Amino acid sequence: MTEVNISVEDVNPTLKVAHISGQLDESNVDEKIQGIYKALENAPKGLNMIFDMQNLDYMNSKSIGYLTDLYGKITELGGKVSICSAKPNILDILQVVGLTQLMQNYESLDAATTALAVPVVPAVTPTPTPVAQPAQVVTQPAPTPVAQPVVAPAATPTVEATVTPAQAPVAPVAEPTAPAQPQPGQVTSDGAYKFES
Amino acid sequence: MEENTKTKITITLPTNAYFMSGIRDFTLNMIKNTTNFEEKWAFRFQSVVDELCNNAIEYGSSPGSEIRITFIYAKDDYLEIEVQDTGTGKNRIKAEELKKLYEERREPAYQFTGIRGRGLVKIIGEWSDEIKFEDRPEGGLSVTVKKYLKDPRFKSGLPQKTEQIILN
Repeated sequence: MTEVNISVEDVNPTLKVAHISGQLDESNVDEKIQGIYKALENAPKGLNMIFDMQNLDYMNSKSIGYLTDLYGKITELGGKVSICSAKPNILDILQVVGLTQLMQNYESLDAATTALAVPVVPAVTPTPTPVAQPAQVVTQPAPTPVAQPVVAPAATPTVEATVTPAQAPVAPVAEPTAPAQPQPGQVTSDGAYKFES
Repeated sequence: MEENTKTKITITLPTNAYFMSGIRDFTLNMIKNTTNFEEKWAFRFQSVVDELCNNAIEYGSSPGSEIRITFIYAKDDYLEIEVQDTGTGKNRIKAEELKKLYEERREPAYQFTGIRGRGLVKIIGEWSDEIKFEDRPEGGLSVTVKKYLKDPRFKSGLPQKTEQIILN
């Protein structure tokens, strides 16, 4: 299992910081992420969370899926979610999947803490007394089955490297440069499917 | 590395996510040290390889079997990465089905709601210029992605917007 460490710190009753270090990948994410779900059990309404990614070196798409799920659970309860200190490669992957549109990224934990700790200005007009709400429980997602190897893997993967002279120059597949944009699923003359995301 | 050369590296590994940390390190260092792709792309290809292999391990090759990764770097031209599985996995999928799934998820209106499913489209798809799904004659699936070095879109820093899907 790749090394990763997740610890959740209670900064105050309405703010938790999840410190994530190491590499979150297929070999560990299902197990390790549960620490954050556990910390959110019986979370009060309006609980905010910061994901401190200062020492996070890698995260895969499933980790991002879990972050998205956690975001949904926290914001459902009226809380906010931010990330801080993410390295450029982490920020890049969060950006490409669109997560930075949901979660604000701060350069430091202090900046994120300050931003989330800003008290809400009370409304000028008197508000009715809130009705007591039943305690909300954050449910954990069904664990994803992880494929277990039946046979112990070979000790070392085999690596073969060959350097071969280039034959005829390889013509790159035609890049779409024409101003007219291809339609999704359009079949071109060379049998390829072209589409725009 | 000499001019006009292609470097081909093939790695065969057991169907086990345990090895992926080493494969990611290898990918990062190989791209940083032996290609002209900038560092940002070394990290991106690291993710692309990881996602391709995780899919192959999960869907294509049964435990105890293997997957094969092939890197082909054509100097100053492109990097191609192919991941093959053996088609022995419980959840194996045909090229046609995978292509359909890919296209559905590429639709702008598609909403990713679960924990999973973002890797192929949002990471592999966004960070490659071409993607090809093929059924292997001996069984299993081969997924190949290609990224051109002299892509004018590199300079814009914008996400890749157009690409080709080739299905054999």
